[in-house]
Amino acid sequence: MKETNLNPEDAKLRGLLCRSRVAPALPPRFQEGVWRRIENAEAAKVAARRNWLDSLAQWLLRPKLALVGAAALILMGSFMGVREGAQSARHEAQARYVAAVAPNLLR
Amino acid sequence: MRRSLAILLGALAVGVAVFAGSYLVSQQVCARHLANATDDLDWLRNEFHLNDSELARVRQLHEGYLPKCLEMCARIAVKKAEVHRALTGATNVTATVEQSVRKLSELRAECQLQMLRHFVEVSQAMPPEQGSRYLEKMQRLTLGSHEKVEESMSGAAGQSHGHE
Repeated sequence: MKETNLNPEDAKLRGLLCRSRVAPALPPRFQEGVWRRIENAEAAKVAARRNWLDSLAQWLLRPKLALVGAAALILMGSFMGVREGAQSARHEAQARYVAAVAPNLLR
Repeated sequence: MRRSLAILLGALAVGVAVFAGSYLVSQQVCARHLANATDDLDWLRNEFHLNDSELARVRQLHEGYLPKCLEMCARIAVKKAEVHRALTGATNVTATVEQSVRKLSELRAECQLQMLRHFVEVSQAMPPEQGSRYLEKMQRLTLGSHEKVEESMSGAAGQSHGHE
């Protein structure tokens, strides 16, 4: 049996391998297709963002939600305001008592 | 997209305005309503959970103390004016100045002791736990501001002492 030299360093073998590699031809308008796909991907991202904003805006404009949101904000604001007001009134009353028994102490 | 953004920003602005408005209105109303009280002892009743009989006893002590306090403050104001007069134009500490300053210090100490005695009496008119809390609080509020008390003694007695 004849021995075959398969040493990749062999110049003859390397030449043969290079010639045998098939470079497929690009399909027609390949570059244009690539650019179109890139543009489409970017357009999809913008559309998704726009859809998100639009749906949030629509959601906010629903009367029931707007009413509930306003009521919740008024309740929260009032609660915090009453708490703060009560605290400041308490400090004022304390200062008044202390000023009465230990004059001008807090002035 | 621009319209949606405008809607979102508008909703945010309205939300902030609604919250801030309700906060400020309720705070003002509450503070004004609670601060309307003209009774000096309102704070004691609320802070130390006094019932009517305890408050009545405290009121009695308070009303008994105020004239004494006013009298003491007037004496201090007179002595302070005396010290000022003695010091006006003086180039050194004369015997008169020394005597007046000593007397002024004595009066201040006497005033403070009278105040502390009043605090003790008031604390004893309260339930024990509230009483000790009151005593601790008043000592912190008054003795801790000793310098301020002294500054307050410089004016005319009635005006500078905040008594009605």
